[in-house]
Amino acid sequence: MDQWNNIVNIGLLGTGRKTPAPQDFQEPLQAPAQQILDNAGTDREEQFLQLAALSFGYRQSGMQAVKAAVTPLPACKPEVKPYCSPAAIAALKQVMDIESIPLLQKWLEYCVAQQVLIPPAILPTLLDKAWKYKSLRTLVAAAGGHRAEWLGQLNNDWNFSRVVETPQDKWENGATAQRVEVLKEMRLTDPVTALSWLQETWSKESAGVKTEFLNAIEPTIRETDTDWLETLVNERSKQVKDQALKLLKKLPSSSWHAKYWDIVSTAIRVDGNNVTISLPPIDDSIFQSGIDKLSNDRKISDETYILYQLIELIHPSYWEKFLDRTAAEAISFFSEHPALQAFIPALIQATAWFKYQPWAQALMQNSEVCHIEILPLLPAAQQQAVCEQFFDQQQEAITRCAGDFTTQWSFTLAKQILSFAATQPYVYNQTYMNNVIHLIPVKIADTLDDIQAPDNWQTGYWSNIKTHLRKLLQVKKQVESLSSI
Amino acid sequence: MLNLSDDQVLALAPDDSSRKSGKDLANPAKWVSKGVNELALWGECQGSGSKPYQTQVDTINMAFKCSCPSRKFPCKHSLGLMLLYARQPGTFTDNTPPAWVSEWLSKRAVKEEKKTAPDKAPDAEAQAKRQQARIRKVQDGIEELTQWLKDIVRNGIIDLPEKDYSFFDNISKRMIDAQAPGLSNMVKELSEAGFYQEGWQSPFLEKLARLYLTIQGFKRLDLLPSALQQDIRTLIGFPVSQDELKEQTGITDSWLILGKQSTEEDRLISERYWLYGQRSSRPALVLQFYMRNQGLPPLTLLPGATINAELVFYPSASPLRALIKQYTTVPAATPFKGHSNWEELMNAQTAISEVLPVYNEQVYTIDHLSPVWHQSQWWLQDKQEMLMPVKKDFADIWKLLAIGGGQPLPMAVVGKGMEYQPIGVWINEEYNLL
Repeated sequence: MDQWNNIVNIGLLGTGRKTPAPQDFQEPLQAPAQQILDNAGTDREEQFLQLAALSFGYRQSGMQAVKAAVTPLPACKPEVKPYCSPAAIAALKQVMDIESIPLLQKWLEYCVAQQVLIPPAILPTLLDKAWKYKSLRTLVAAAGGHRAEWLGQLNNDWNFSRVVETPQDKWENGATAQRVEVLKEMRLTDPVTALSWLQETWSKESAGVKTEFLNAIEPTIRETDTDWLETLVNERSKQVKDQALKLLKKLPSSSWHAKYWDIVSTAIRVDGNNVTISLPPIDDSIFQSGIDKLSNDRKISDETYILYQLIELIHPSYWEKFLDRTAAEAISFFSEHPALQAFIPALIQATAWFKYQPWAQALMQNSEVCHIEILPLLPAAQQQAVCEQFFDQQQEAITRCAGDFTTQWSFTLAKQILSFAATQPYVYNQTYMNNVIHLIPVKIADTLDDIQAPDNWQTGYWSNIKTHLRKLLQVKKQVESLSSI
Repeated sequence: MLNLSDDQVLALAPDDSSRKSGKDLANPAKWVSKGVNELALWGECQGSGSKPYQTQVDTINMAFKCSCPSRKFPCKHSLGLMLLYARQPGTFTDNTPPAWVSEWLSKRAVKEEKKTAPDKAPDAEAQAKRQQARIRKVQDGIEELTQWLKDIVRNGIIDLPEKDYSFFDNISKRMIDAQAPGLSNMVKELSEAGFYQEGWQSPFLEKLARLYLTIQGFKRLDLLPSALQQDIRTLIGFPVSQDELKEQTGITDSWLILGKQSTEEDRLISERYWLYGQRSSRPALVLQFYMRNQGLPPLTLLPGATINAELVFYPSASPLRALIKQYTTVPAATPFKGHSNWEELMNAQTAISEVLPVYNEQVYTIDHLSPVWHQSQWWLQDKQEMLMPVKKDFADIWKLLAIGGGQPLPMAVVGKGMEYQPIGVWINEEYNLL
């Protein structure tokens, strides 16, 4: 080995700077090396090349594998669940070919529901996908079995694949994605325990993880969280502090909500049918909490603008008590009084902010316009009916909003959305179809031919999108049919 | 009908875009008709025209034909049809080939018979003259190449990473002019030494020494054993007459196609099929070259499949490269046979080195290997706890780990010296491509 290193070192510097010597070689190469170096008929370069060839031949003829005490990788635990069927693998290949994450999610949900596993050879590809798309992580971990967990121990990118059994175990030993998942579940089933988990480990968590936890509890935020959240406004991380403040603003029981309501209820005075508005002096801390002082619209006074922002952050139910009216009556009261009419959009925003369903339904009842912000708060059936009713008025906004629905679009709505998509095929392209395929009913495939791009120049592009959509629908059908096999 | 896997079909694709298009066409909705029998696979694919494309695959001798205008081979329709069969064989219910399939198969059979008819004998005198003229040109080229090597050695290799492309390219082209394409390739290999990787110097000097040995071997050709003379001539770039080879009796065996490696440069596609004789226990390398979009490749083998074939090995001190005289794809068991450990493999390699010091990458089958992580890289550990590094750019290490799950597996590896790349593994006595 040393003599080859000597050759490499001389080769690096060049024979112009360093020449080989007999002592660079050991037995049995020393004698032939000496013979080469003694040959006066050859130049230094030729001698080096001959010596390199000699060492190369000797080296490659006696190579041995390396002996080292390396502990083999621990063997993966044998799987107890069966692997998925060849039909499921065939469907997965189709899903992977068309690169639709919602369909991949659907396929993984099938595996988890049927208690079957992803075959090992495909696991690295799916673990990579799950690394890229967080929404797949828990599913891949569950359908990946022990093999995915074992691979997760070898590859840090895949450490979300650790399999944990009980919620407590998941919370204490799971990867962040699994902890977030179990926290979300626990918030629904046992919010007291969920809060105590957070309080117990809070000081040990990083700012990034804290932010993820705060994001996770946002949909289930409740009054009992208030005291704990109030303590977080002194957190060192700005990211955590901002998220805590945001959550507090969503809690009517928080000190911030009380401060805002104090100003609003002082500013708006209702005397019988008379309404007067006069903003009281406002503390600087209010403005530091994210309320802007100055209006950016000349037509709106600073006073109105401040009040507008504060109303956006007042729980709508407060108006029911304040005005001693039902939700529908309170809304009518605002719309009937010229001084309050300007604040109706703020009421809509507040309804969306506090996800207050009674007001969402009241606002949409008999409304002649569609309030997109509160669409997600409506029950699924009403949501679809409202979308169908107002689609022609707000095609783009409804199409965008419908992409986040959790239930499949009705046939009519799907047709409306796809007909609109045909007018803008460069926006609602193949990627868009990939992302909303879980919402499109399979039976729309039979009527796709009826949906045409309005302009000639778009026809070709839309036709390609339709071809792709047909393939997506066919794969979706294939995945959906797996459960019935 | 043979069993096809996705990986096997995709390994046939000429490029990534064909692979993607083929996947798109592996969809029953695209096929107006489709069928299979023991000889062929066929289907009619609805393209943009009014008449569907007629696609057919000879599954015995692995050949393709499609009425589409594509010059790629196999075309996306052939790939799509095979993928569809691999994924949903149950949907191929028609077993009676239509006329256009039967006619094609008959024509192929006639063509095969014609191939066996002898061609006119070449003019031996003129051939000898041409050969002499070529040898002179090669000798001149070798002088120039030797001078270039000496310049590198004099100045040292330390500055080579900073040299521009033309430094290697010019001399490589000069070797083409000198009718020594083999030497041209060896110079190209020098330029591909991975100068950005740590420790490039040692493998570079190994390649340099191999090139020098080849040159010196050619200068002293008469002193070498006749088999080694052939190796040196082949390395320089002298062709071996395939017609003469075909006249020889080969080795008939069930050959497992362990893997396929393809490279492309200036539209020249080089394909290397690694084979292993199930009865003869010998490896073989079938090489073929063809220009992209210029006719069909002479041979298409299905990686992972087994063929009953007669192989004639090129003359060599350690025969590896072979020519397939005739073959049929057969369903066959593919139990593992091979070396027990690295020591055995390295001894086999030393035996090759002894008779053919300028040998290149080989394929080996070796039992009981497990990937282990050691000194910031992956190694393959055998039963005796001996380690061999895995090739640094090996992309399928995670697939290998996932399949093995920490259990040792028999593997097929390609490499030489101290670096190997797994290309397939045996699971439950069945060979699987990586």
